[in-house]
Amino acid sequence: MVTNQASIKRDGIQDYVSLRTTALVILAYSIFLLWFFVSTPEVTYEVWTGLFSNLLVKVFTLAALVSIMIHVRIGLWQVLTDYIKPHTLRAGLQYVLNLIAFAYVAIGVFVLWGV
Amino acid sequence: MFFALIFVITAWAYSLTSADGFAAVVEAMNGVFGKIILIGTVSVLTYHILGGVRHMFMDAGYFEELESGNSSAKIVIGAWVVLTVIMGVVLW
Repeated sequence: MVTNQASIKRDGIQDYVSLRTTALVILAYSIFLLWFFVSTPEVTYEVWTGLFSNLLVKVFTLAALVSIMIHVRIGLWQVLTDYIKPHTLRAGLQYVLNLIAFAYVAIGVFVLWGV
Repeated sequence: MFFALIFVITAWAYSLTSADGFAAVVEAMNGVFGKIILIGTVSVLTYHILGGVRHMFMDAGYFEELESGNSSAKIVIGAWVVLTVIMGVVLW
């Protein structure tokens, strides 16, 4: 049965793969930031805005934020389905948490826009 | 960790949008409360990464027996404690 690509409905294998691929992006970004803070003796406002005015850093940051959103969507679904048995409460939590995860991406876009 | 992100994203947004926002974030981070959140967040992320990397090894078929699973789990916890202490010293 070929997955219907027209819809965003997914299956377990996609979740399995997406969770790990997004994890690798987030891991790379975390290491990048760690390297930045370790290798920068004094982080001033100019240095900080300089970092995020670089186009590639903006793309990497947005990629990380989107990866976090996807990673969170799948990861929190696994957590919620394990622990929150009443389905209406779980649906409500998923709705709110995924909205927050999207808000992180939106904030990222508008902040990066202005730098 | 998801809720720690609220602090991370907020601090990041404030620190980038204006110079005094940046100063406010730096000042907050030097405060006791800020440092606790900072070290807590970094520590939680470190544990999640260590556990995640171990999990990926397990996907590849390693650490699946009783002894190897147990010992790799203890190594993750040990490394986490050591790294948290190091970051605590660095950030405090």
